Amino acid sequence: MRTIFHLDLDAFFVEVERILDPSLKGKPVIVGANPEYGRGVVSTCSYEAREYGLHSAMPIRQAYKLCPHGIYVHGSHGEYSRYSKAVKHILEKYAPMIEQAGIDEFYMDFTGCRNVYGSLFMFASKIQKEIWDKLSLPCSIGIGSNKTIAKIGSDCMKPKGITYIMPGMEKEFLAPMPVETIPGVGKVTLQELHSKGIYRIGDITKLSEEYFLFAFGKHGGGLWKKANGGGSEYLNPPQERKSISKERTYGKDINDRAEIEATLFKLTGQVCQLIRDKNWQAATVSIKLRYSDFITLTRAKTIKPTDDDKIIYNTALALLRKGDTRRVSVRLVGIHLTKFNEFSEQEILFEDKDTIRKKMLRAVTKIRDKYGYSVVQFGRTEKVSDRFVNPFHPEGN
Amino acid sequence: MEFKVNSKELEKLLTKIIPAVPSRTPMPILENFLFEIKDGALTIYATDLEISLKSSLNIVAEENKNIVVPAKLLYEVVRSLSETTIHFEITDNGKLNLKTDSGEYTLSYLDADEYPDIPSFPGSDTEKEDINELTISGTELRYAFERAAFAMSKEEMRPAMMGMLFEFGEEGLRFVATDGHRLVNLLKEKVKLDAPAQFIVPERAVSVSLKLFDEKDVKLYLSKTHISFMLNDIELITRLIGQKYPDYSSVIPLENEFKMKVKTKELHSIIKRMMLFSTSNTRRVKFSISENKLEVSAEDLDLGTSGKEVLEVEYSGDAIDIGFNSQYVNDVLTHCGSEEDLIFKLHSPTKAVIIEPEKQKDNQELMMLLMPVRLNN
Repeated sequence: MRTIFHLDLDAFFVEVERILDPSLKGKPVIVGANPEYGRGVVSTCSYEAREYGLHSAMPIRQAYKLCPHGIYVHGSHGEYSRYSKAVKHILEKYAPMIEQAGIDEFYMDFTGCRNVYGSLFMFASKIQKEIWDKLSLPCSIGIGSNKTIAKIGSDCMKPKGITYIMPGMEKEFLAPMPVETIPGVGKVTLQELHSKGIYRIGDITKLSEEYFLFAFGKHGGGLWKKANGGGSEYLNPPQERKSISKERTYGKDINDRAEIEATLFKLTGQVCQLIRDKNWQAATVSIKLRYSDFITLTRAKTIKPTDDDKIIYNTALALLRKGDTRRVSVRLVGIHLTKFNEFSEQEILFEDKDTIRKKMLRAVTKIRDKYGYSVVQFGRTEKVSDRFVNPFHPEGN
Repeated sequence: MEFKVNSKELEKLLTKIIPAVPSRTPMPILENFLFEIKDGALTIYATDLEISLKSSLNIVAEENKNIVVPAKLLYEVVRSLSETTIHFEITDNGKLNLKTDSGEYTLSYLDADEYPDIPSFPGSDTEKEDINELTISGTELRYAFERAAFAMSKEEMRPAMMGMLFEFGEEGLRFVATDGHRLVNLLKEKVKLDAPAQFIVPERAVSVSLKLFDEKDVKLYLSKTHISFMLNDIELITRLIGQKYPDYSSVIPLENEFKMKVKTKELHSIIKRMMLFSTSNTRRVKFSISENKLEVSAEDLDLGTSGKEVLEVEYSGDAIDIGFNSQYVNDVLTHCGSEEDLIFKLHSPTKAVIIEPEKQKDNQELMMLLMPVRLNN
């Protein structure tokens, strides 16, 4: 029997925004797209906003109708990942193995740790308290014999809840819950289940596995197992990143090729910063362009491994100019780097233009790591930055 | 016309000059030896236009003649013969016949007109003024080449660094080689020219001549474009690299205040072991230096292997962690193998490290410079 913890940070983005701007406390805060542009969705909203019926992934326009006096923020993603890392850092002290399932959720395997940490419930509350004391971030923890049950556990007592599903009690615990509680049950499955008169998880367990396999296929078999308290028992160990990409969906489809190129420049700068942070060099550069009719163009080229914005941008730009032959407005542009190798920085005796540039990039990387990405920009980036100034946080990005 | 030579004598000569015959060339004529028969001497030339080798034998011949003979074929034939006398016969219809007691071989020869001119030293009287002359012992040249040759650059980005600098100055003659990551600087005191001068000898000339030097004196002729190493029985003439050598003296640090004394052999054997553990693409080793202690470590994260060893050293400076390319450290130690103790002079983890023998030989100063590799913590 395994012991899996699922830790979920409650309304994570909103809580981080509140740390950055304490005046947001106790108010309905919505992190997501800008409702003025009318496109995009809610990333997270505070519990105060949820009272108006708002939830994650709701179209921003609809959210605005329901809660027009809410505070809409665009989001400070750099800060989110900083806080997420800080949480992980705390968890790493205790957990022998961690799987980060998203920016705000973590699975931990504490199998066999009862003798070390004592009561699992008390231990979970200790972790919860430490994260609150050190970072002012609330979280909920579910403890169960597999990942699914732990996740459902952390979800059912939000916010600041701890749920321990004793081994053997899974079925009873799940039975009264609505079927959509099971991770992986989306709109379509839900409709089908409802059409068959299945509303509660308990309704599923009354039926046979064969029935579900027959009615829903392979997916149905998994669903039946989860309803019966089953689920994946082993964490996925952290995997080496095989690719790094950045995309931008425009608020409004655009036709100005110069602007698309400027966006590409900005995205290139961001991915290059990421790989330089890891001391990697990328060998394959790919671009992605999605037109307003959703036809998507991708092009890739392999070059001598590099981490230099200029080389990667020029490669991406050449791919873009060659591939973009349609006269159709563009919805999304993205850059994608793959085939990494780690390299060591050999210092050299005689500086030439290349090494001075490398030094400059290294300095830029360091400055950005310390003070934030946007403090240093290359001349070209300005145009895009102007356009994407966050109306709620005009000084930050 | 005819002449006779001993097969072993000829083989010895050809073995010395064949390195200058290019194996692939857009000029097929270079795949030949030039035979110059003049006043009772046979002089054989080979060249790839960068370096030229020439050597002579005394023969008995009535007339003077120049011909061009396929190099590889002649060499292979002569080499395979046991000791015997070879009768050479040059016919007027373009054939060169070789006769031994039992065999007869026919090669085609060409006229010498197309063979490129090879500069000769000391040269005519008018040229002599521009040519510097100097004698230096073969042992010393060999020592210098052996110490410095490994540091020459193989990258064509900076052609000047693809050779070894001979710099004549106030203090003597300096041999300098660098590829931008390491540098060797060897000063031979008392070897001087009338005026300061710089010559860059290409890598190939260095590696070919290294095999020729013995304890005998070598006479050097230095012109603006060429240098000639004249040995007893063979002469190597090379074109110089006509570029400006980078200002190496400005990158030699002066403020390296921390000195570490190590046993060369012990450190070398540690480095060889650490090379097995360093990541194959970075080949990084870490030196953690603290009071009288050097810890050398390496790891390969991909393979999950790592190694570390501790060596007793003499050190009293600040504790310092510094990374190197293990291959470069190995090169330095290989070429300082004869020195018992080495001094590492350090300043910081990103600045050049100076490596010198603890005891310098008389009239000479050897210094190696190694650039570190950044350690990412």
